[in-house]
Amino acid sequence: MDGSWSALIQQAFGLLFSFDPEVWSIISVSFSVSLAALLITLLPSMLLGFTLAFNQFKGRWIITNIIQTMQSIPTVVIGLFAYLLLTRNGPFGDLRWLFTQQGMIIGQMMICAPVLVALSQAAFTSIDRRAWETARTLGVSWPRAVWALCRELRVPLLLAVIAAFSRILTEVGCSMMVGGNIMGVTRNMPTAIALETSKGDFAQAIALGLVLLILALILNFTLGMLRGKAQPRSH
Amino acid sequence: MIKLVATDLKMQFEHRTLFEAKHLHFCQGDVVHLRGDNGSGKSTLMKILAGIQTPTQGKIEAQGFQPGPWWRSDSLLGKALYLHQHPYLYDGSVEYNMTYALPAPLREQPDIKQRISESILHAELGHLLQQNATLLSGGERQRLAIARAYIMQPKLLMLDEPTSNMDKDSQQLVLNMIAKLKHQGTGLLISSHQSCELTQLCHQEWKIAQQQITTSANVTSSYQPLSTIASSQSEQTKQEQQYVSAN
Repeated sequence: MDGSWSALIQQAFGLLFSFDPEVWSIISVSFSVSLAALLITLLPSMLLGFTLAFNQFKGRWIITNIIQTMQSIPTVVIGLFAYLLLTRNGPFGDLRWLFTQQGMIIGQMMICAPVLVALSQAAFTSIDRRAWETARTLGVSWPRAVWALCRELRVPLLLAVIAAFSRILTEVGCSMMVGGNIMGVTRNMPTAIALETSKGDFAQAIALGLVLLILALILNFTLGMLRGKAQPRSH
Repeated sequence: MIKLVATDLKMQFEHRTLFEAKHLHFCQGDVVHLRGDNGSGKSTLMKILAGIQTPTQGKIEAQGFQPGPWWRSDSLLGKALYLHQHPYLYDGSVEYNMTYALPAPLREQPDIKQRISESILHAELGHLLQQNATLLSGGERQRLAIARAYIMQPKLLMLDEPTSNMDKDSQQLVLNMIAKLKHQGTGLLISSHQSCELTQLCHQEWKIAQQQITTSANVTSSYQPLSTIASSQSEQTKQEQQYVSAN
């Protein structure tokens, strides 16, 4: 490793605050891909979580268990699966999304959906059933009744969103497999850190690591504040 | 005529039969006392009639109601309003809870505003409108739940032990509100495992015993709570009237 720690950290801050185009392009790819994956997945996942929590139907147990299992599958395995789907000879090869941001979005959707479904199912399961019954017996429509539950569960649901976003923003395996780490196109923060470290360019890796660290701090403080504000209710 | 008609109703939990009934009808204008021991299925029957629980067997028809949209034309939801024994209140102010079920554009209609004002007045909740509803006492919660139902102008209303564990003053307020609804022609199904002042309002009785629901006419009550409303208005009520005039 060339240079001292302090020199490296100085260089890293320099890259960040001089708005180095390469560094900020990587940050921009990271956020745009992960936010897109999160936004596309959010509503269907929450609705699936609600359905699994509030309905008894054949296959519910198996679906719940598959989703729980999918949460713990390594991202590189999900990346491999997405790769096989998107490769030229794969079922979605004609889309030509391999090594594109669209491909990365698909991969990250496959990572964040199980987290969102499992955590929202847990949240919806925890709510007092009278909240739903009250809304429905008052003649409130189905979407408004679901919205009322989401409002009641805003803290655990927001925690689910933050947890899912953290997972996809920091994952490296799937992005590397499906994105291919192409500069300016599919290189995001985790894949760039892996590459720069292997090349010995620690300054850029530290700069990107700092962004992830600051983001992790912000998200965790937000989580902590939300958890702190959530009060057990007496019904 | 607006009514719910249940035929060949049967409710089972696993292999245990909770109750059966050949024929039940609950009409607008009826005031029915639903009797039964604890665990006999009073709440379950009400939830079935409200459409929030499905019976093991049988058919329930809502007759005389305005047809709803095509995607929920068969639904019982919103036809007979069910009030839980311990009402659920949403996290938010008393005012938010009171008007929660009304679509926003309706809240500005003069007749609805009038009804909201009336419900605040009768429930004596004017001084609590901005308070978080989850912090209310048991009696206040029940009054708020009835006020919320009152605003919706239900044709049929089912109240599950509405005055249990309540102090005398709250009981009287709830009684007056229920009597007001009766006076307006709302069909009432009131569950209570014992006779009380509230059940004196009823002129029919449904009894769940030995897994069977039997219906019978009851003695009409001479209870006249409406006359007591005006005399029982307190200083608190004056505050509510000020709120009403301000809105």
